[in-house]
Amino acid sequence: MKMRVLLPLLFAAAGALLPGLVGSTLLMTLLTQAVINAMLATGVGFMVRQNGMVSFGHAGFFGLAAYIVALCTTNHVVTAEFAVLLAVALPMLLAFLLGLAILRIAGVAFSMLTLAVAQSFYELMLRWRELANGDDGMAAELPPRLFGAGIAVFQTPESMFLVCWAALMVVLAGLWLLSRSHFGTLTIAIRENEERARFIGYETLLPRALVYALSAGIAALAGVMFALYNAFVTPDVLYWSLSGEALVMAVIGGTKAIWGPALGAVIFFLFKDVAGDLTEHWPAIIGGTLIVVTVLLPRGASGSLLALVERLGVRR
Amino acid sequence: MSEIVLEGTGLTRQYGGFRALDDVSIMVRRGEIRGLIGPNGAGKSTLIDVLSGRGAFSRGTVKLEGRDISGLNARQRRLAGLARSFQRTNIFGDLTVGEQVHLAARAAEAENAGEVMEALALAPLADRRAADVSYGDQRRLDLALALVGRPRVLLLDEPAAGLTMQESLTLAALLRDLAQRWQVTVLIVEHDMDVIFAICSSLTVLHLGRILVEGPPEQVRVMPEVVTAYLGSSVA
Repeated sequence: MKMRVLLPLLFAAAGALLPGLVGSTLLMTLLTQAVINAMLATGVGFMVRQNGMVSFGHAGFFGLAAYIVALCTTNHVVTAEFAVLLAVALPMLLAFLLGLAILRIAGVAFSMLTLAVAQSFYELMLRWRELANGDDGMAAELPPRLFGAGIAVFQTPESMFLVCWAALMVVLAGLWLLSRSHFGTLTIAIRENEERARFIGYETLLPRALVYALSAGIAALAGVMFALYNAFVTPDVLYWSLSGEALVMAVIGGTKAIWGPALGAVIFFLFKDVAGDLTEHWPAIIGGTLIVVTVLLPRGASGSLLALVERLGVRR
Repeated sequence: MSEIVLEGTGLTRQYGGFRALDDVSIMVRRGEIRGLIGPNGAGKSTLIDVLSGRGAFSRGTVKLEGRDISGLNARQRRLAGLARSFQRTNIFGDLTVGEQVHLAARAAEAENAGEVMEALALAPLADRRAADVSYGDQRRLDLALALVGRPRVLLLDEPAAGLTMQESLTLAALLRDLAQRWQVTVLIVEHDMDVIFAICSSLTVLHLGRILVEGPPEQVRVMPEVVTAYLGSSVA
């Protein structure tokens, strides 16, 4: 079996063994949150990788999904299972329609528009107290069983880690397959040279909108996992700083490899925890580290790892 | 006389107060390799842009095989059989040579990606990232992206720009051969007169957005006003 298939399988299996090896519940809680963040960063990184565009608004899709789960289960609008599906599908649809309008705008202006959209969701949840209880947040009234499993599975660090880990591995495998498909090649071509893509006969807006929708769907899936795990949401999950953090994770991990942002998220989360123990000014340490990583490792941790593997002569 | 395959009528392109194209009409016949020459600012690239759907024009019509394609965008014109290459190398740097030629073939629903790569000596580079191959290879790749799917008309905007004299002449010979073999009509803008005279069956000379003269190369090259103004005395 080729190393490019064997290594990820070994990695996925190793991750699944973690709950049995880590004795500390606190560390498992941290790792579970890190994997949820890895999912969010994967969505952000996929957008950068395939569309070459930076979104400052993926917290909008993350938080929207979390609120859909909370609102639907608390108000008993639909079953919890349907709420979960809705929480992924609606942000995807929204991103697709939004993308058709705003993906025509290039560069910083696009990033600012994504930020504005996410902040409008934040303001909505903050100010519409009758709907979502404002900045006090709201609990998700989850049923005793979800998709045939006891709800404790989703709220215990060890088991929820496995759920999140499995979901992340499936998403990464799916994105890897997608990147090797015609759609993956086409979107890279459009990212590289949109005008030429049109001149060889391709419609360019629709594929970019689909990438945006897919990346929003991944962020929404992370939001669903967050809501199930915490059973409580506040407007903070929609705030721009979460979008910024996800972007920092993607930069640290690098976006050349599909799994790069996820690696960046784990590094970021663990580093944040260590730095947080040292000083209350931990964001300054994170900022300094980001500068160092950007300058010294422009391809991110994943790019450096791949370069190292290539140098050691391992077939990817 | 063979049929007209590409026809632009009364094409006018205005940038503010400047007319880059002023009521230009051009007819290219099937199988022809037509050279489009003139000094910088004559409107050659603008004409290629207008014909290919890259630039909007203020007035006029474009017909491909008798069908009015003025309202079609660049993608639709490509799928209708009108392809183009660009003055600056216009490829997909992060894709391999093979990936992008196959991508172009798929859009054109063609199966000649391998044949085009063989013909343009790109087959040995199929697995190389396009950004990593030489400039000459990138120029041929640019041409391959336009040629795949066998368009009926190929618009070339300075395909030999930046190439050495030897590379330019090799490219010219290749172009002539492929145009004949695949029955592609060509309209080519080129500053390299060696390339132009090596392959063109007719010439159109543009000056200040207007057509100055048209005719066979051997007649055009000896017209005193053309020699003096555009070609330079060395080629006469």
